[in-house]
Amino acid sequence: MALLEIQGLTKIFGGLTAIDDLSFRVEEGEIVGLIGPNGAGKTTVFNCVSGFYEPTKGRLHFAGHEITGWAPHRICHLSMARTFQIVRTFPDLSVLENVMVGAFSRTGNRGQAKQAARRVLELTGLAAKADMRGGSLTIADKKRLEMARALATKPRLLMLDEVMAGLNPTERQAAVELVRRVRAEGLTILMVEHVMEVIMPISDRIVVLNYGRKIAEGRPETIALDDQVIAAYLGEKYRGSR
Amino acid sequence: MRAKEGRAVETLLQAVASGVLIGLVYALISVGLSLIFGLMEIVNFAHGEFLMLAMFASFWFHLLWGLDPLVSLPLVAILLGLVGLVTNRLVIAQIIRAPMLAQIFATFGLGLFLRSLAQFLWTPDFRLIQNPWLSRLFGGRVEIVRGVFVGVPQVAAALLAAVAFAALYLFITRSKTGLALQAVAEDKETAALMGINSQRMFDLGWVLGSACVGIAGAALASFYYIYPEVGGTFALIAYVVVALGGFGSVPGALVAGLVVGLVEILSPVMLGIAPSLKYAVVFTVYLLVVLIRPQGLMGRF
Amino acid sequence: MKTTHLTGQTLIALALALALVIFPLIVSSPVTRNLMILVFLYAGLAQAWNIVGGFAGQVSLGNAIFFAVGGYTSTLLLQHVAVSPWLGALAGAALAMILALIVGWPVFRLGGHYFAIATIAIGEIALALMANWEAVGGARGLTISFVRDGNGRPADTWLWFQFNQNKLPYYFIALALMITLAGLTAWLDRNKPGFYFRAIKNDQDAARSLGVNVLRYKLLAFVLSAAFTALLGTFYAQYLLFIDPESMLALRLSVLIALVAILGGVGTVWGPILGSFVLIPLGELSRAHLGGSGRAVDLIIYGALIVLISVFQPAGLMGLGRRLRGR
Repeated sequence: MALLEIQGLTKIFGGLTAIDDLSFRVEEGEIVGLIGPNGAGKTTVFNCVSGFYEPTKGRLHFAGHEITGWAPHRICHLSMARTFQIVRTFPDLSVLENVMVGAFSRTGNRGQAKQAARRVLELTGLAAKADMRGGSLTIADKKRLEMARALATKPRLLMLDEVMAGLNPTERQAAVELVRRVRAEGLTILMVEHVMEVIMPISDRIVVLNYGRKIAEGRPETIALDDQVIAAYLGEKYRGSR
Repeated sequence: MRAKEGRAVETLLQAVASGVLIGLVYALISVGLSLIFGLMEIVNFAHGEFLMLAMFASFWFHLLWGLDPLVSLPLVAILLGLVGLVTNRLVIAQIIRAPMLAQIFATFGLGLFLRSLAQFLWTPDFRLIQNPWLSRLFGGRVEIVRGVFVGVPQVAAALLAAVAFAALYLFITRSKTGLALQAVAEDKETAALMGINSQRMFDLGWVLGSACVGIAGAALASFYYIYPEVGGTFALIAYVVVALGGFGSVPGALVAGLVVGLVEILSPVMLGIAPSLKYAVVFTVYLLVVLIRPQGLMGRF
Repeated sequence: MKTTHLTGQTLIALALALALVIFPLIVSSPVTRNLMILVFLYAGLAQAWNIVGGFAGQVSLGNAIFFAVGGYTSTLLLQHVAVSPWLGALAGAALAMILALIVGWPVFRLGGHYFAIATIAIGEIALALMANWEAVGGARGLTISFVRDGNGRPADTWLWFQFNQNKLPYYFIALALMITLAGLTAWLDRNKPGFYFRAIKNDQDAARSLGVNVLRYKLLAFVLSAAFTALLGTFYAQYLLFIDPESMLALRLSVLIALVAILGGVGTVWGPILGSFVLIPLGELSRAHLGGSGRAVDLIIYGALIVLISVFQPAGLMGLGRRLRGR
């Protein structure tokens, strides 16, 4: 059974249908990219899957459990972690303390949490900044910290929401390296991304959203040539232009 | 048997009438609070003290210059509008980006300061305006239905509240500035992109909200006791009304005001509890609302 | 280095504790001892408030109600069932915790404003209720009768928590309470609860995504705050041997508790202690000079202070100290 299975997910806000009958799976060990034009509903999908929104219709299965309607903290304990599109590190806590909050989800012991946190900081290259205040970091480091924090909860599935946004090419390179390292550790990754040069090479599979609906799914090479995807991004008059 | 039933019905009708009348005043007091929250997501914990200032203003205008509260009402409304503006510029502007702790304490501290200052300057004594014009009109009370009497000042207060409320509602929904106000409440950034100055809208929100409180206070001054602590109870009612109606909703404040007014007056009658417990009932309503429908009856948040 | 900094703090704490233990043996003035007891009391109350207000960031403006629950519960149990105030204190704490759960559970699932409003509300309602409820003494309050010795004089008794001839035990009990609460808060701060409280205060949703059961921890903070405040209420009742709604429930009390915490520095372990040592003596001094004219001068100052601190120095004195040290 797939690690994450989304069946017929629909989310309606008042008069707006943000997601319309979306279904796809993420198998263990994959990197799946979720792309689509602005407003396609990608972050809404994340919010539904991670428990921040309650789906209007549809079912969500994760790690063998049905998690539809579960609260975020419960889902985290089931080994799903996420980052946020607009970075949300804890400003008043140090970098180490930020990550320890994540580590405490797996242990009640302060010493163990600290050790685990330090290990994650090593993995993500933030060890030198351990005592800096969370609020004083650069954007790139804050995004890295968010990932570190999420990793400290020892997830099986890590959901990344636009980690590349706002990074310069060097920082982006480092971020891609980090994602590869994380996958090498055995995690499954679902990423939302806008930066095509990044997500195409790194993903095993791509799911494309437009106006809340899935319009294509498959390997990156296939997707890049898909008519509907081209039309969605570049407009109708480019459809069939390849 | 029939006489007893008749009296029970009368008592009930009396309570309903009183409840509706005070409910309208509650609505007017609360709408300012709701408006400000809708714009800036800040709860004015000094709101009750604004009302107290309005009531005292009416009192002093009456005592020092013989102005009837009805006559000084526009003055009081303008005065309170100014108080709101000054508060926004001096205090709120400093804490608008501060953490919630600082925001709550800033207005709470202000309320405490105003309340204690009033007690220092004017003593904790209860004051009453003697013989306002409204209490002499029609002999001071009106019989709505057989056996159901309401005081003229109370009716006038309710009418004033209703008119002010309607005016505010029309302004917000029909005028260009009013729509700008709604836009800022909805989405500040996008409104800015359309050329709407959110700073100005914040000022306007505070002025309007405080002026409403001013009108309510001046209306109450015709028949209510005036003392430094009076803001406390009304503030509590206002919070419940806003929570019930929905933070940020103007029509919600009207519906909720009426509900709270009715609950407050009817609970001793219908539940047979002591009048001193009626606020406990109101607070229970608050807890229930929060439990069952957190966004209130008509709210967005 | 972090470790020496911590040991440095522990050393200061030990030195201070020692100084305070020796203090009454040097200074025997009852007025000063009474002042110190008040300082310890408010430090403890502010420490309790800090757990929910400073650390978890949930502003309670009505903590006085738990003070009253503690004092009234132990006193009523003492008067009606002859239960020792020590046990009564536990009963008071338990009741306070239940009240905290009832009020907290509906409102904690929403924004901080709802909680602040709820605490103001229960404070006001409780005051009106208690002042009119004859069974608990109404506005006149309750007096605890002296326990007398063989000669009919008011005695010293640990069982009944009264020290009428030699009042020194009150001083040491208050000091012990303050130190214990400070120690407990420090423990909470260093361990999982403290981390979770601060995470909630910084960003609730991010905390949720990291496995923090936000509702449970907010309730925990509030319940702990309530219980400790109630214990101090029992102490106060046995210290004065008199309680009434005015002294236990007035807004002034809730305000002062919060002010001591924010003046000292919210979310720090030393803040409440610092704030109390600064504010309480000043308060007593000014009361002596300006007189109890009932004209609420101290509240004017408190109100202004709260506004000024919120606007200019939200981190309080501890924050000022950090700024001066260049951090």
